Amino acid sequence: MWRYVLKRLVGLVVVVFFVLTIAFVIVRLAPGDPAALLLGPDATAADAASLRERLGLERPIFLQYLAFLGGAVTGDLGQSIFFNQPVTQVLAQRAEPTVFLALFSLLFAVMIAAPIGIYAAYRRGSFLDQGAVSLAMLAASVPSFWTGLLFQRYLATDLGWFPSSGYGGPDAGFLERMRHLMLPSLVLGIVNSALILRFTRASMLDVLGEDYIRTARSKGMGEARVILRHALKNAAIPIVTVVGLTFALLVSGAVVTERVFNLPGMGNLVVNSVLRRDYPVIQGTLIVVATLYVAINLAVDLLYAVIDRRVKY
Amino acid sequence: MRTFRLMAAATLLMGTAIAGPALSQTSLDIAIIGEPQSLDPMMSTQDVVSIVTQHFVETLYTFDSSWNVAPLLAESLPEISADGKTYLIRLRDGITFHDGSAMDSADVVASLERWKTQATRGKGVADRIEAITAVDPLTVQISLNAPYAPLLSLLAFSNSAAAVYPQEVLGETLGAIVGTGPYRLVDHKPDQYIQLARFDGYKPRSEPASGTAGARAALVDELRFVPVPDANTRVEGLLSGQFDYADGLPVEAYDRIAASDAADPVLLDGFGWPVWAINHKAGLLTNRDIRKALQAALPFDDMMFAAFGDDKFFATEAAMYPEGWPWHVTNGTELYNINDPARAAEYLKAAGYDGTPLRILTSRQYEFHFKMAEVAKIALEAAGFTVDMNVVDWATLGQQRNDPALWDIYITHSPFLPEPALTDLYFSTSRLGWANSEKDAVLAAFTTETDTAKRLDLFGQLQGYLMDDVGFIKTGSFAALQGQRKGLTGVNLSPWPAFWNAARP
Amino acid sequence: MTPGFTRLLFARRSVLLAFLVFLAVVVLCLLAPVISPADPAKMSVRARLTPPSGAFLLGADAYGRDVLSRLLHAGRVSLLIGLGVAVLSTLIGVTLGLLAGFVRPLDAALSRLVDAMMAFPDILLAIALVSIFGGSVFNVMLALSIVYAPRFARISRASTLVIRELAFVEAARSLGSGTGYIIRNHVLRNIVSPVIVQATFIFAYAMLAEAGLSFLGVGVDPSIPTWGTMINEGRQYIDTAAFLILFPGLAISISVLSLQITGDGLRDALDPKLSKEL
Repeated sequence: MWRYVLKRLVGLVVVVFFVLTIAFVIVRLAPGDPAALLLGPDATAADAASLRERLGLERPIFLQYLAFLGGAVTGDLGQSIFFNQPVTQVLAQRAEPTVFLALFSLLFAVMIAAPIGIYAAYRRGSFLDQGAVSLAMLAASVPSFWTGLLFQRYLATDLGWFPSSGYGGPDAGFLERMRHLMLPSLVLGIVNSALILRFTRASMLDVLGEDYIRTARSKGMGEARVILRHALKNAAIPIVTVVGLTFALLVSGAVVTERVFNLPGMGNLVVNSVLRRDYPVIQGTLIVVATLYVAINLAVDLLYAVIDRRVKY
Repeated sequence: MRTFRLMAAATLLMGTAIAGPALSQTSLDIAIIGEPQSLDPMMSTQDVVSIVTQHFVETLYTFDSSWNVAPLLAESLPEISADGKTYLIRLRDGITFHDGSAMDSADVVASLERWKTQATRGKGVADRIEAITAVDPLTVQISLNAPYAPLLSLLAFSNSAAAVYPQEVLGETLGAIVGTGPYRLVDHKPDQYIQLARFDGYKPRSEPASGTAGARAALVDELRFVPVPDANTRVEGLLSGQFDYADGLPVEAYDRIAASDAADPVLLDGFGWPVWAINHKAGLLTNRDIRKALQAALPFDDMMFAAFGDDKFFATEAAMYPEGWPWHVTNGTELYNINDPARAAEYLKAAGYDGTPLRILTSRQYEFHFKMAEVAKIALEAAGFTVDMNVVDWATLGQQRNDPALWDIYITHSPFLPEPALTDLYFSTSRLGWANSEKDAVLAAFTTETDTAKRLDLFGQLQGYLMDDVGFIKTGSFAALQGQRKGLTGVNLSPWPAFWNAARP
Repeated sequence: MTPGFTRLLFARRSVLLAFLVFLAVVVLCLLAPVISPADPAKMSVRARLTPPSGAFLLGADAYGRDVLSRLLHAGRVSLLIGLGVAVLSTLIGVTLGLLAGFVRPLDAALSRLVDAMMAFPDILLAIALVSIFGGSVFNVMLALSIVYAPRFARISRASTLVIRELAFVEAARSLGSGTGYIIRNHVLRNIVSPVIVQATFIFAYAMLAEAGLSFLGVGVDPSIPTWGTMINEGRQYIDTAAFLILFPGLAISISVLSLQITGDGLRDALDPKLSKEL
């Protein structure tokens, strides 16, 4: 077990190295002088020259790469052009809404998907089962911004059930901020419920066919208990896996959803940064999100190992 | 006692969960179109910067509701010497900055020096300014090397503003955002909000409020400016009651806002004018006959209709200032909206036009720019032009228009500015390079003349040359849509709305 | 493909229906220049925001352009991007997978590289690439292909590793068969089913991602109509002309849904073992 953990950790370091390299290459492949690009149309040649000097762009590319790696490892992802602040600081300020949006939408997704998935598996082949599967497919096919626009328009503006946008004012407490996340989380949760529903259903079907379930039933155990006690416990493993997998889906969805609901999160920041030509922020977000993805999947795999002792490494 | 405490706790809890601010505090939430580039209005020409910063940073002068210059931090209008070269400015006594220090002439001189060397509009007048000196602690003198009429308007303008800061914070970037305004900056969370609170040390002027001049009362305790880049999200937020005011709304939302119980539309007639900027330095349009062909061929009615949808939101008018403005003159307006392909074709023939493409540089940042160009293209082709549309993003347009080799026309827009000389397109030194000896003589007279009636006459002549020589093309005038909560009063409605006299119902 | 396979594929009526729907979408969009009632760029300003009617079957947009014609032409771009991403990511992914499987020293590094590629969320990487290189159709395709390629890389690497150890492959190799022969006759044949299934889903995901990018205004150049840009342009008229976002939204949803159902059917028909996994 520990050897496995160690092996995975080494793997993680290598993957993060590749993530950093890809992020470096993307930004350095940009056509034109990066300094001029950073400074925008009003800059003079002298401004550009002094920025090149300050950013170390005159050095050989390999040295720049090493400096970039060194910086990233020590938590320095460069300086935001627009905010004139370290990228890490800018990102840290945007983490809260994005993290909670991701958590709540996962929660909504599981709350929607798990009961339906279990019930669909239990009533396999029934009208309800087919309906649930089709519904899941539909949820995964409708663009989330489309649902977002409609929900915002009708549930927030017209019915007033939710705030229509934003993250609360300066005196908004934690509860108030979370209230602003409910509608966006619901929108994102619906999209992400599709995959979870299908996984839950499939793994429940597997488990329901196992011998020990049949044994439990034959011993006269109540149906509800069979399902909840034995079956669900074993079906939890693939569900945990899929939750890790949907993280990327969640981030992509968060970019669009944060835009629709004007949440001051990392997704909205990236889109704004494109319009502001703030490349260091775009690069920094790529690095942070990709590293998180790798770390979360490692955590999920380790969790998997803990839940299921039978898995051998 | 215990019941009371319980109730208080419950109220507090509900307050955070539902109502937001506690009872004693009043505040306004204002949706703006994006995160301001800077909180230093001296260093930016963005309108959104002016809108926010005018509440905490002030200038020596400002504009009243009919766009006349009025004193703000200055005691009164300046004493101008007979030769028009010396401005003696007396400052108000007892003005304190947000950091508690008193404003004196040293602060003003240091601020104006910084404006002169670093602000875009300040740099534009730097070579006319001989000296800025402190005469005594409450008097400042500006000496010019030649009379320059637009100076007062420049000092009053909130855009690339001649803002007054304490000299201690001045530097290439400000050490701290400290002004004299009725509100002070409390907190700034980029992309989330800019929080201002009433400045208790503010000393309002005694005159009644008019435009941004006169008394500033700071009626509500707090102002929060919320950047909402998406126009539709601003509309939804206004209609759901989340915002008390929203700037920059799509005109299509007018009917919906008018029909709602939560908000009223604010239509600013004569907000601005779209410009077709013409390249006089290089290319096809250096030929006057081809410029005349362009002028004759453009279908202004259709262009404006396509761009703004409903005639509530635009007017096809040639005059550089709409009726009702002090600068409204009618010289040369008969040359507008000819809309005659045959006449245009004659001009083209006279010019010996060989089918070289007319390059129109535009972007979709502002959808109406693009819409005008799309409609114009068809009419220009009907008149015999070959048209080459170059659609780029806004930042690229800003870059490419500086290179005369890349375009014949680029499209932009401007608000109606309180002083014509603030529009640099008239000057041969602008990137358009519109040089014409008769026009330039009139323009020089216009900027040095100080008598208002004579200036209006000169401006009339200038507009005549603009139309006759086709210096650049104003395609019409358009309205802007903002929105406010029902019952909100006291907002100074302008392209740069101000909230110090605003109160919630 | 044998008749038996077709029968298997369309055993479920829903799959047949979905396949026909998707086919219809493709054919309609391909025929856009022929069957469009109007020029998609032609404006009639005075007819702006006309609701669906005889003159404009699906209404007219803010420039008075025919929505139906624009929908058909936009579909060509959206479908092209979906197809392009499916093909390109297959090529990139399978190549990487084969390399990792056959060139032992590269395996560990390539596998981690593939992990790193997969770590970038699709829209985020596309935003970064498009913001730097510009919003051409190809750049959007390339960005999405990079994100989706790892799925193919994993399939083909796993299959390669299994096959190269099989006795008959060892035998073939000892008899002098080259690596190319082994790849063609054993590996590719083995992975073609899961790759086709996966490509169908990637096609669908890419169309969704492209719509999201265009909606954010950071996708393909906005003067190229796609279904995403149509929704983005139409959203300001959500009250006066809701049909402007309704029709492109339906077009995306219907295409993606029918593709996904077809993909499901393909998976069931090609490889019953796989069907349990998703």
